[in-house]
Amino acid sequence: MIGGMVKPIDVLKSFWKPLVAILGSIVVSALLLVAFGYPVGEAFQSLWEASFKNLRVFGNMLNKASPLLFTGVAVAIGNRGSVFNIGAEGQFLLGAVAATWVGITFTGLPGPVLMVLMILAGALAGAAWAFIPGILKAKLAISEVITTIMFNYIALQLVGFLVRTVLRDRTQAEPQSYAIAEQGYLPYLIDKTKLHPGFLFGCIVAILIFILLFKSYFGYEVRAVGFNNTASKYAGISVNKTVVMTMLISGALAGMGGAFELAGGSHYLYEKISAGYGYTAIAVSVLANNNPIGVIFSSMLFGFLDTGSTAMQRSIGVSSSFADIVQGIIIIFVAVAAASRGVAKKAPAVKAAKTEKKEGQ
Amino acid sequence: MNVVEMRGIYKYFGDFCANKEVNLTLKKGEVHALLGENGAGKSTLMNILYGLYAHDKGQILINGEEVHMESPSVAIQKGIGMVHQHFMLIPQLTVTQNVFLGMKEAGIVLNKKELDKKVADMSAKFGFNIDPGALIWQIPVGVQQKVEIIKVLMRNARILILDEPTAVLTPNEVSELFQSIKTLASEGYSIILITHKMSEVLEYTDRVTVMRLGEVIGSVEVKDTTEDELASMMVGRKVDLDRKITPQPAGAPLLQMQHLVVKNDKGLDAVKDVSFEVHAGEIVGIAGVDGNGQLELGEAIVGGRKLESGEVVLDGEPVGKKSIRYHMDKGLSHIPDDRHKKGLVLQFSVESNLMLGRQRSSLFANGFFLSTKKIEDKAAVLVEDFDVRPRDIHYLAGGLSGGNQQKVILAREVDRNPKVLLAIQPTRGLDIGAIEFVRSKLVEERNKGTAVLLISTDLDEILSLSDRILVMHGGEVMGEVSYDIPIEELGLMMAGKKRESERKGGVGA
Repeated sequence: MIGGMVKPIDVLKSFWKPLVAILGSIVVSALLLVAFGYPVGEAFQSLWEASFKNLRVFGNMLNKASPLLFTGVAVAIGNRGSVFNIGAEGQFLLGAVAATWVGITFTGLPGPVLMVLMILAGALAGAAWAFIPGILKAKLAISEVITTIMFNYIALQLVGFLVRTVLRDRTQAEPQSYAIAEQGYLPYLIDKTKLHPGFLFGCIVAILIFILLFKSYFGYEVRAVGFNNTASKYAGISVNKTVVMTMLISGALAGMGGAFELAGGSHYLYEKISAGYGYTAIAVSVLANNNPIGVIFSSMLFGFLDTGSTAMQRSIGVSSSFADIVQGIIIIFVAVAAASRGVAKKAPAVKAAKTEKKEGQ
Repeated sequence: MNVVEMRGIYKYFGDFCANKEVNLTLKKGEVHALLGENGAGKSTLMNILYGLYAHDKGQILINGEEVHMESPSVAIQKGIGMVHQHFMLIPQLTVTQNVFLGMKEAGIVLNKKELDKKVADMSAKFGFNIDPGALIWQIPVGVQQKVEIIKVLMRNARILILDEPTAVLTPNEVSELFQSIKTLASEGYSIILITHKMSEVLEYTDRVTVMRLGEVIGSVEVKDTTEDELASMMVGRKVDLDRKITPQPAGAPLLQMQHLVVKNDKGLDAVKDVSFEVHAGEIVGIAGVDGNGQLELGEAIVGGRKLESGEVVLDGEPVGKKSIRYHMDKGLSHIPDDRHKKGLVLQFSVESNLMLGRQRSSLFANGFFLSTKKIEDKAAVLVEDFDVRPRDIHYLAGGLSGGNQQKVILAREVDRNPKVLLAIQPTRGLDIGAIEFVRSKLVEERNKGTAVLLISTDLDEILSLSDRILVMHGGEVMGEVSYDIPIEELGLMMAGKKRESERKGGVGA
């Protein structure tokens, strides 16, 4: 678990499975496209170009991956601690709400201060939203799966309520909030792109969470509780405290994701600000074997597929559901590769990280 | 007549040779023990016979005729039945439903009455006394085992393989089980018993084949052999489980129970007004049949179970309301009864398990961050000192044998330099080499001046290790005895008879 050398042969082994998965998914998708009479070459070309044609689209892809990265890492740390946080969706929304409120309230603050405040507020709100299910699990053993799902509904309705009432920008036809103060817009990192710092920050956060999980005693406790809470209890670890802490961190990460999406992307709050990111995050995390660094790559894969399928639809008129099918095929193939990798015996953390690197590229 | 003959069996797992030139014969109507330490290749051999593994070389003859055991269905067809160590029963179904599960002979529409009667008849025939309509989860483990046996018999098995059948049974259930096995043998059934317990071999079986490191060391008639001979065949050297406690003056009382009352999970009193002391430099053994409050007592001592009343005093300080962490910091170490559930994180490596509970200590961490070097250095020393095999600190704990898992726990707990060491069933399910090792470590701790409280249902263990023995029954202490007490008297106390002197007052404190 800690350290552990990786033998060259293991690295080699970790190459071919994702490779086969990607090749397999390409072949199957191609067969399907042919069967339905679509031009295969063009379809794949548009899928590829949607993310890699130029810097602009590449930035868009990373922006798409950003919310998945935050919520994915949130789910990953939860899964490591056997806290099954299905509530990243709600925590993400609450993060966006908090950032909105800060952004339209403290309009007098200088930009950088406002940005930091918005992100912090997002993290706090997400953590607070996760705290209640966490404490209910710890104290009353109420399943967090149920409570977090319910909290997602509450969060969604709360956003709907806010953008129709107190936060509503009446100059707009659709229910949406006022835009945040302009100096609070997160800067674009590269010229001529809309790439905001969300993804970059997410990568840093993912690495920090990786270090926390695998290199600190707190992370050790989280994982110990996740694997065997009885043994952890008898080893003097406070299981309840660890569960609540895990939940808080998970919620804060998802909330931060919401804040970045708001401050960097839309700049105002609306009901559909999350395209189910909290739910997709579960797949993103599992695909990465609940490894935070792996999540960087799996979130990119999802971002790639998402932008790609829209492009495919636009350029060759493949129906959007067909694009979804192709996306599904790729995910299934990669998931099978990921699952067969899970059998590996030693140093799963390091190995997983290596594998994901290949999948993402 | 030989009902089973295995000739020159070889089995490889990769490069590892699990069975090497193994010969085994089973005569009709005999109870044949297959004795060996964990990992000696007994289960592999039996899985070959039952068609679960394919052997690489050798012949299998059933009733004199060569058979290719391609799958368990071939084995079943040839009249071989196997009862696995871990039962394969569905807890929510009744006995009858479990017995006939998957049997085409039961028909498409089940005739409950008829099937129940079949089970009841067979149960009566072998003195099993099973209620066919009982749900599995409601019946004791000993009875569940009999259901497994009936399952096999109902499939017309004439050759029974029992894999460590007594591992989960109480002494009473063990003797009942062997009564039934004797009956079966006298009816012409042939039985192979996989075990590592010599007492069972000597007491209940006709012939024994001893295996070590994948090879057969020898097959002997039980009446011609002795425990010492079997032990040295099994381990490859002389084994000494004799009492090695030399009297030494006991020191200060480090662990005191004062009128302890503890409830079990069902909310009933499990420990009723128990008082005693454990002093520095002594081993106090708590004898008793499983389920008489020992487990709850142990959990109360470590701080994992609420005290209804009374007090636990650790090194002079009342700790009854304190956390497990606090107990540990006060110098209590704990070898739990269930090493998989309470003692180890099986998905962690050996080194990670060795620091479990001390992960925040500067022994393993620099402030908030774990130190790989410190962890590895410490773990390397501990696996060496406690003979954990393999000597690979990155090995997953779940992949170790039971004995080595227990050594990891022992290493971790002893390395904390405890004032009080609580050991609950420390050798349950271990092979003889590991038992010897664990026991010698407990004695070593005692000699160093640790107060050791040993809770065990294994009477031999209690008698060979304890300075003083307390007998528990129904949540109460029946009395204190010495190791040389006649076993019959101890048996009576374990069954609930109080000692004369104890009727008037409590024990100890």
